[in-house]
Amino acid sequence: MSKTDSDIIQHTELVHEHTLFAEPIFEFGHFTVTNSILNSWIVVLIVIIACYVLKNKIKEVPRGAQNALEMVVEAFLKIFDGVTGSRERSMKFFPFVFTFFIFILLSNWMGLLPGIGSIGQVVLHDGHNVFIPYFRGGTADVNTTLALAIIGVVASHIFGVVAIGIWKYFNKFVNINALLEIPRKIKKDPTIIIVNPIKIFVGLIEIIGEIAKVASLSFRLFGNIFAGEVLLASMAAIFAFVLPIPFIFLEIVVGIVQALIFSILILAYLTMATSAEEH
Amino acid sequence: MDSLIETFHIDIKLLIAQMINFAIVLSVLYFFALKPLMKTMQDRTKKIEKSLKNAVEIDEKKEELEKEYKVTLAKAKGEANEIIKKAVVQSEEKSKKMIEKAKNDIGQIINEEKAKLQNEKQQILEEIKNDMVDLVTLSLEKILEKKIDSKEDMDIIKQSIK
Repeated sequence: MSKTDSDIIQHTELVHEHTLFAEPIFEFGHFTVTNSILNSWIVVLIVIIACYVLKNKIKEVPRGAQNALEMVVEAFLKIFDGVTGSRERSMKFFPFVFTFFIFILLSNWMGLLPGIGSIGQVVLHDGHNVFIPYFRGGTADVNTTLALAIIGVVASHIFGVVAIGIWKYFNKFVNINALLEIPRKIKKDPTIIIVNPIKIFVGLIEIIGEIAKVASLSFRLFGNIFAGEVLLASMAAIFAFVLPIPFIFLEIVVGIVQALIFSILILAYLTMATSAEEH
Repeated sequence: MDSLIETFHIDIKLLIAQMINFAIVLSVLYFFALKPLMKTMQDRTKKIEKSLKNAVEIDEKKEELEKEYKVTLAKAKGEANEIIKKAVVQSEEKSKKMIEKAKNDIGQIINEEKAKLQNEKQQILEEIKNDMVDLVTLSLEKILEKKIDSKEDMDIIKQSIK
C-alpha cells in the first residue's frame, strides 16, 4: 500500500488508525494543509472545471448534460417548494442551498474513491510508524462540516434580517417587544403578564437553539461520513475483496442522503428565518 | 470546549479556508451554471407559454376566417344566382320583344306589299280599261269609218263601258 522510508525504524509496527481529525500533510507558512482540505480543493477544482465546460453549452434547446442538470434542478425545485411553500422563495434560495448539496455530495463521494485514504506517507510519531493518507474525504473533517454549518446558519440570520427587518428579527431572540407590550395590553388581557415572560424565555432558548443547529448540522454530517469511512476500512481489513463492495454502495447512498439532509435543513432554517413570527 | 477543539483539531484557519472553498463553489456554480441555466429555463417556459397562447389565437383566427370565407362564399353564390336569374329573365324578355317586333315588321311588310299589289292591280285594271277604250274606239272607228267628234266619241264609249 505505502512505501516505507528508509529512516523509519523497521522493528516497530505500522499503525493504521483512523483519527477523528484530519492529519496535517505539510505547512504552508502558518497555514497547516491537512489531507481533508486537499480533498476540498479538488472538489472546488472539479466544480470549476465542470462549470467552465457547462457555461458555453447552455442552450435554449437543451442537449445531453444540460438535460440531466435541468432535470435535477427541476426535481430540487419541486422538493424545495414543499419546504418553502412558494416557487418564488424556492428560486431565491435555490443557488445557495444547491451549492451546499453539490459541495457536500462531491466531498462525500470523493472520500469513497480508491486511493483516497489508502495512498499516503508513513511518518514517525511518538515512536510509532504512523500511516498518514494524502487525501481524506472533505466532510470527514469537523473543520469542513463546521464551516458549512456556520455559513448556513449565519446566512439564515442575514436572510432573516433582510426579509423582516433588524428590529423584528432581533425580537425573535431578545423579545423586548413582549416586555414593552405588558403595560400597554394588561388591562385588555391580563394573561399577558404570564404569557409574555414565557415568550421572552422562549426567545432566549432560541439563541441556544441556534448554537445547537450548528452543532447538530456539523456533527451529523461528520459522524455519518467518518463512520462510513471507518466502516469501509474495517471491512477492507477483514477481507479486502468483494466484501467492501455492498458497503461502498451503502456509502454512496449515505453520501446523497446526508448531502440532501444538510441542504434541506439549511433551506428549512432559511425559510423559518425569513418568515415573520406567527402565533 | 477545549477538549472538543483538541479532539477534532478544530482550526480557525482551516475553517476560514473551507468557508472560502464554499464561497468559490457558490460563486462559480451560481455565475457559470445556475444563473444562466435558470434564466434559459425560465425563458423557455415563457416562450412555450407564449407559443401555446399564440397557437390558440391562431386557431381562433383560422376559425373566424373560415366562417367569414363561408359567409362570403354563400353570399357570392347567392349573388351569382340572382344575376343569372336576372339575365335569364332579361334575355327572355328581349327575345319576346324581338319576336314581337319581328312579327310586327313582318305584318307591316305584308300589309305594305298587299297595298302595293292592290295599287298595281288598280293601275293595271285602269290601264286595261284605257286600252280597252282605245281598242273599242279604234274598232268602232274602223266600223263606222267615220270619226265622229272625238268628244262625242268619248261619251259614247264611256256609256258603253258602263
